Amino acid sequence: MQTIKLFEGPFHEWIVFGRDSEKIDKIVDTNQYLVKTNREAILLDPGGIELFSSMLAAVVHFLPVEQITHLFASHQDPDIISSLGLWDKTLPTATLHAPWIWEGFLRHYGCNNITYNPIADEGGTLKVDGIELEFIPAHYMHASGNFGVYDPQAKILFSGDVGGGLNSHEDPMFVQDFDQHIKQIKTFHQRWMPSEKAKEAWIKRVRKLDIDLMCPQHGAIYKGKDIDRFLDWLEDLEVGTALRSS
Amino acid sequence: MRQSSELETTFFVTAVAVSARLGHVLKEAKNISLEAMNAKALVARAGENVRTFKPITDYMVELANDTIRLVADIDQEALRISKASLIALRGNEAVNHFNTAKVKAQKALYRDSFEPALQDAEKDLHLFQQNLLRNIRRLNELLEEIENRMLAANVVTSTSRLEAATVSPLYRANFEAIVEKFENAAKTIRAIVRECRKVLNVR
Ligand SMILES: [Fe+2]
Ligand SMILES: [Fe+2]
Repeated sequence: MQTIKLFEGPFHEWIVFGRDSEKIDKIVDTNQYLVKTNREAILLDPGGIELFSSMLAAVVHFLPVEQITHLFASHQDPDIISSLGLWDKTLPTATLHAPWIWEGFLRHYGCNNITYNPIADEGGTLKVDGIELEFIPAHYMHASGNFGVYDPQAKILFSGDVGGGLNSHEDPMFVQDFDQHIKQIKTFHQRWMPSEKAKEAWIKRVRKLDIDLMCPQHGAIYKGKDIDRFLDWLEDLEVGTALRSS
Repeated sequence: MRQSSELETTFFVTAVAVSARLGHVLKEAKNISLEAMNAKALVARAGENVRTFKPITDYMVELANDTIRLVADIDQEALRISKASLIALRGNEAVNHFNTAKVKAQKALYRDSFEPALQDAEKDLHLFQQNLLRNIRRLNELLEEIENRMLAANVVTSTSRLEAATVSPLYRANFEAIVEKFENAAKTIRAIVRECRKVLNVR
């Protein structure tokens, strides 16, 4: 599992975990993010059950596991959160923040101890040891209940599946050549993102944020100008393409 | 650990297999019940010269009802085993995940911080396995109870045969046919139950 520190501020840090070389070939590669202060931490999209042991082993390089007081799941997909049943045993007193519409679904993964905090459709904010994080609505991008996480201090947007692609575990952690990069993510956005209306609403919302790093749950992280390039590119891209052939 | 997970998988399958076989036991028990009813009707018609048959038919009804009740109990127990073995299987998987993490985290500064979670998972697993074993023991007992009932049925058929030989020739053939059906049903039940117990004890 590769780990990279993305941000180091006076009170908190962002760390990304990904490109697990030990993962089974047929499951998609994913990025997991840890936002930590000296006392607490939140794990964003903790990952699938197959990844759990690697993730647990990776996070304890940075903090004692009980310091993770919050979990966040952008949506209900198995690559996001099928590890929930095991985190539930590891962090029985933690709180999981996830879209309200998925509560009854996510609990199928096993959620006996963890507290489920249903995020309302409008989003909201969460203070983790004084650090304010915003849950940014991203419904139908692709899941019908879906959020990103924005950190105004670090100027980082965790964008969930938006901006992601089906990459290999050997791909670089950051976008290097944007034109090359979009070839990798085009099909993913055309096929996985269902709605033009949702796409436009999301772009409009995100353009208002001051972002240095846009961090998707799959694929490469966008820096600076590549974020604007991505938004422009997405704006022109036709999504929901499976409807064309049916 | 692998061995124990195989154990739980086997029990999960076993419980389903036992449950599936019980359908036949129930059918045979209902046959016994039906034969007992026939016998009762016959006893009523034949009157005084077959009165020794009366307690036998009562016993047949009792036997059939007991078996039907036991089958329902076994069905419940098999369901419990299915659930318990799945829980144990999941518990076993959790322990495996934590152990894998432990190996992967060997160089991590805070590697000991998830030790309590691993220990809890092991404790849970132990508890799940104990529950599973208790359920299996109970299932074995219930099957044994049916088998004992069927052994008793053997005694009843012998007695019935002797009785049938003494009744008036007018009814003899009827009684003999009833006794034979009863005997066959009991035999079938015994065979199925034996098979179930064998499946349960071969792990
Ligand atoms: Fe997804
Ligand atoms: Fe995803």
